[in-house]
Amino acid sequence: MCSLRCLFLLGLTAIGSSAALAADQSEIQYVITNNDVVPPLPNKVAFFKVGAGGVLSQSAAVEANGNGIGGGFFASQRVVVLQNGKSACAFASNAGSGTIAGLDIHTLKRTGDFRGSGSDTGITNGIGLAVNSNYLYGSFTDSNQIGTFNVTAGCKLEFVGDVAVKGLHHGVINGMKLHGDLLVVTYDDGSIESFNVSGGTPVSNGDEQNSTGSGGSNFPSGIDVTQDGHWAIFGDVSNTTVVEVSDLSSGKLSKTVVFHLGSNVGSANVLLSPDETLLYISNTQGDRLTAAWFDASTGKLSKGCESGRLRGYGSDWAYLASLVTETNSGTGDAVYVAEFGSPSSIGIVKVNVGVGKCTLRESSSSPVQSGGSLLTIASFPPRSF
Amino acid sequence: MHKILKIFVAVATCGLPLMLAAAEDSTLACPLRPNPGSIVQDALSLHSQKGVLNAAFTMRHSVDHDNYNHFCYDYETGKGEVESPTLRLNPGDRLELSVKDRIADTSDADEAGADHSSMEMTNKTCGDSGKMTIRSTNVHFHGMNIPPTCHRDDVLTTLIEPGTPPFKYDVKIPKNEPPGLYWYHPHVHGFADYQVNGGAAGALIVEGMEKFRPEVAGLKERVFVIRQQFLKPWVPGPYQLTVNFQVAAYPASASPIIKMAPGKKEFWRVANSTTQDFLQLQVLVNNQPQKFQLIAFDGYPLAKPRYEETILLPPAGRAEFIVEAPPAGATANFYTAAYDTGLTGNPDLQQILADIELSKDEDSQPTPVTQPASPSRAARKLLRFSGLATAKVTAQRKLYFSEEFGGTNGPTQFYITVDGDKPHIFEPDEKPPIVTKVGAVEDWTVENRALETHAFHIHQIHFMVLEVDGKPVKNQDMRDTIEIPYYNGSGPYHSVKMRMDFRDPEIAGTFVYHCHILDHEDLGMMHKILVEPK
Repeated sequence: MCSLRCLFLLGLTAIGSSAALAADQSEIQYVITNNDVVPPLPNKVAFFKVGAGGVLSQSAAVEANGNGIGGGFFASQRVVVLQNGKSACAFASNAGSGTIAGLDIHTLKRTGDFRGSGSDTGITNGIGLAVNSNYLYGSFTDSNQIGTFNVTAGCKLEFVGDVAVKGLHHGVINGMKLHGDLLVVTYDDGSIESFNVSGGTPVSNGDEQNSTGSGGSNFPSGIDVTQDGHWAIFGDVSNTTVVEVSDLSSGKLSKTVVFHLGSNVGSANVLLSPDETLLYISNTQGDRLTAAWFDASTGKLSKGCESGRLRGYGSDWAYLASLVTETNSGTGDAVYVAEFGSPSSIGIVKVNVGVGKCTLRESSSSPVQSGGSLLTIASFPPRSF
Repeated sequence: MHKILKIFVAVATCGLPLMLAAAEDSTLACPLRPNPGSIVQDALSLHSQKGVLNAAFTMRHSVDHDNYNHFCYDYETGKGEVESPTLRLNPGDRLELSVKDRIADTSDADEAGADHSSMEMTNKTCGDSGKMTIRSTNVHFHGMNIPPTCHRDDVLTTLIEPGTPPFKYDVKIPKNEPPGLYWYHPHVHGFADYQVNGGAAGALIVEGMEKFRPEVAGLKERVFVIRQQFLKPWVPGPYQLTVNFQVAAYPASASPIIKMAPGKKEFWRVANSTTQDFLQLQVLVNNQPQKFQLIAFDGYPLAKPRYEETILLPPAGRAEFIVEAPPAGATANFYTAAYDTGLTGNPDLQQILADIELSKDEDSQPTPVTQPASPSRAARKLLRFSGLATAKVTAQRKLYFSEEFGGTNGPTQFYITVDGDKPHIFEPDEKPPIVTKVGAVEDWTVENRALETHAFHIHQIHFMVLEVDGKPVKNQDMRDTIEIPYYNGSGPYHSVKMRMDFRDPEIAGTFVYHCHILDHEDLGMMHKILVEPK
């Protein structure tokens, strides 16, 4: 049995440990995965510590108290990170269970499971997420609803309500990107739309439209928005590399401009570098990454560089999906990309930029096995926009 | 007469009885299927008489107690209804097949149809007009080397709609048609998968194999049609294989039983009528695969029989072979080994198709000898496609399979593309990407750039397999469907080089080539070819 002195010492130790942990956590960098594990195993959220040279090592795999679906839309972001003051939260959807798990990044512990309305479901293609300091939005891809949740203290959520959405041709909600008071979405029928979320619940800006590049097999899928909110950038599902850009400066989506950026197959996921000079593109079925030059003043894209075939394609994994960068400055130094397969993994691609040219080269430490069916990754600390 | 009154009188005098008859007709369910663990019976055989086989099918739909959708070609025998009889004809015979569509309530299957947009067939129609839906049907005579024209083997313009009068097929079997196993199934674009998944498929045999392969003469013959059923065919997941409509799901249920006399040889004719399963057929004796003598592939007798332990049959493929039953006391099974279809393909699992039960009683069973074919002096050199190996090649083409996904569960685009063209899915009103002329002999190389295995099929003709992965093959078999394995991420794409024979003037017209994973075909992995007359 522990004596009073013993308890006192344990207490001191605990305080000391917490302080040390907090100090550590303020420095720490993670790549966070939603492993989307299917029953009978529980879904997990894994935390990979980013070490020197961008090397990843798994720190924890936290059970998300729900089930994944082992796949879904490439551009449906299933794990998001919120850094708000000292609070650091990750939210990950359990598409098979219809819940959203909250996690405290400092403690690497789950804070709870949160559910929307009884009709919210994303069991076929997933539940996408977008978050700001006040609200989290869930795109339920089967019920075609956006659920709004209040973000409360301790990385918790409170359900507010649903908004039914629909593409112009009855499409299902696919990608979702939050920027200030704007929520931009794509549907799987080639249409795009933006919503005003200043009041919390999304209200359509009345700008739903077919993207210029949609038609045939092309449709916009993943989204990024520039830091100043001027441009929305859409990565297309396509049999080549196609990206579309819309001027958002009026607060509404304008007609998109189409950029053909190479012959690599698929461009469903896109990510701007922190300095907005490069756009990273997952060639979803093209086994590699493409980087295009982006001019933030004109919204124009031009061909940049591409990686070689990433290791394990065809034998271990089949698709590339979500992207994050190693750092939140400059070009981001390296790009991490979700590799969906069996086993799933995280690819690591180093970025180098010289005068007028760039190179993408897979790191010698790539890939890193993640487990599960990986489509979505996030970074902590998150990019600022 | 007032226009409305005219319509009323017209309906009252002729339309109403027709409508009532149709309504009554459409309430009938598909015939019951055999219970698990029972003896596998061949389907009823319908033989041509005096050069003609005349039959009438009714396409029906019902849902069984396990919630599987059945789509069936019903045939009224006079003593009741059976489904999918085996059609047996001789070269030179005529098949007069009338087909009426009485598909009624498909509420469960309709959910599937929601994903497959209905579209107009083309501007030109044969039979009924309107949109293709899950209730529309038609018939494709798979593998038959017959014209792609209305009332023969046209799937691009032929539509049979529920409640309409029977549609008449009138097919002349060419005199030089290879003897062997063919099959028939619906081929309405967008909905073939649902109806074949429901069981709508049957065997068609062109008699006379023994003239080309005397090894089979006098042997007891079996016809096994292996089908596949998914609860929801558009959702990847568990499936059941059936053997002549009997579910093979051991250990969940008892296996079908094939009775054989110990030590006796039998001639087995097996059709892979699954929607997407690549079968690796084996006969296991005491769990060891046995050699059997392969006689024909895809309804074309081999130049020389060969012994195999495993036969890979892609969806729609057929194999005919001689099986020797083991001695009494052995344990034997008809079996399919697992087949790897790639990272994005559906798993094709190993399983027992049937238990082979050895019984001396089988010796006393009458042998269903094939209907004697009309005497023929046809030598092998007169068989269709003879001389193809040395024919002058008039064109080379390269095609490839590829896929594009919006997510792992779709939406998915399935392409088959002529190299250099922009990939696009099939549209009924498309211009044929390939145009050739009667008289042409072409070498096509078909590559697979996707991460799942595909099955290439062309209507109206067989092709000669020349090379696999760039290497000449030992056996230049004639096929109408062939597997092209998935890309595994390194090295060149897998490919098959095949010789296409467009010399027969009867084959002029527009027809299709496609992947015979039927969901892929339904979703557009198909295109037209136009063979212009000379």
